[in-house]
Amino acid sequence: MNVSVITDNLGYLLAGAWPDGPVGGLMLTLILSAASGLASAAIGLVLGIALAMSGGRTRRILVLGLGLLRAIPIVMLIFWSYFLLPVLFGFAIPETGTVVTALSLVGGAYLSYAVAAGIESLGRGQWEAGLALGLGRWQVLRFVILPRALPAMAPSFVNQWTALIKDTSLAYVIGVPELSFVATQVNNRAIVYPAEIFLFVGAVYGGLCLLVDRFATRLAGRGGRKRRAAA
Amino acid sequence: MNLFGDPLAPRYLIWLLQGFGVTLALSATVCMAGTALGLALCCLREAGGRLGGAVTAAGIGLVRNTPLLVQLFVWYFGVAALMPGGLTAWLNTPHSLPLGPVELRWPAYETLAGFLGLTLYAAAYIAEECRAGLNGVRPAQRAAARALGLTESQIFRHVALPQALRIAWLPVVGQYLNTLKNTSLTMTIGLAELSYAARQVETETFQAFQAFGIATLLYVGAVAAVEAIGHAVARRAPAGAPRR
Repeated sequence: MNVSVITDNLGYLLAGAWPDGPVGGLMLTLILSAASGLASAAIGLVLGIALAMSGGRTRRILVLGLGLLRAIPIVMLIFWSYFLLPVLFGFAIPETGTVVTALSLVGGAYLSYAVAAGIESLGRGQWEAGLALGLGRWQVLRFVILPRALPAMAPSFVNQWTALIKDTSLAYVIGVPELSFVATQVNNRAIVYPAEIFLFVGAVYGGLCLLVDRFATRLAGRGGRKRRAAA
Repeated sequence: MNLFGDPLAPRYLIWLLQGFGVTLALSATVCMAGTALGLALCCLREAGGRLGGAVTAAGIGLVRNTPLLVQLFVWYFGVAALMPGGLTAWLNTPHSLPLGPVELRWPAYETLAGFLGLTLYAAAYIAEECRAGLNGVRPAQRAAARALGLTESQIFRHVALPQALRIAWLPVVGQYLNTLKNTSLTMTIGLAELSYAARQVETETFQAFQAFGIATLLYVGAVAAVEAIGHAVARRAPAGAPRR
């Protein structure tokens, strides 16, 4: 094992060419993860609520679209947004934008099922009680259903975020200089120490996923206790 | 602007179909090997003693918490560099075994690395689905079997396992679907499957929409077919499925 190939290139692995050039490496991985994590949570909430509240044709179209997003490999989706977004908007979009778009759509599609399932799991009694109090459907959702359903969904969101951190590595296929891509660059330059480089990079991703998992689980646990104490 | 352009020349369609064939063959072998390994890991984790259980759990956690892409790079670049030179040379030269009319060819190194990486990744997830299935069997079931005088191994074989497999089946089908989609990552180590072929066709023809459109349709069709088969098998399972 040769550690110097890691220590010599640590700055490049962590931040890419920054501050002399664009941000890359682990820092870009974090940026991509955070952006697609937030966007996928928003998409998941909106589409999940739409899925739970709609019926008939709207619901069928929604189910079809979400099913399609979940059936396409993320690599394909990244290629699609890479080639399609410039045509749609008429000007070039930075590669990072296309990656965030693809990952947010996939993450949002998975989360919307979790959100819809969380809303539907609460049972009709809650809805009927709310409606009996004279609230409208959306008011019941806002004041009765979501405050109880959202905390229960927290684990799904955390799982999706750790999955997204891993999936940012797919930005590699269109040359976005995130951690996996700069690792292959370092590997191409050093040539003789691929095991060291990729095991190190794997450990960084593993540590990151574990950190998010622990942190989010603790946050969710504390929130749960507070709510129980208040109830 | 014409989005679609002229239809793709037949030879490019053949490239895509060949890639699709590789994707299907790779997915099928990975699913079979991953299921066998996943079941073994699940047993080791549940019944391998404290040390065996802990080591298995750590290994599964490691595989599940790192990107598949990085794992493929470790198997493709890393292991190749760590192997003794003679073995690397042997793996990189073609070998074949003539068996009458057919000739068995030893797969190229990227195929081996891709197969190994995908199988370990799938096995780690399948092991966890099986464990969740075992935990989903209600404790009263084991207690009832014990009261009937069954031994622990009989309880596992005749009571816990059939119910666990039924609970775990659809999640495992979900992992088969993930495997099918994950084979697309092997394009990064040069395995000529569907995504690789699509990229190749796009590079040669500049007809991105057709190349990726056809590839996407093939993926969606395969995913839909596997999902339909998985649900059909679940419906055909014998009556008496566990109530939840």
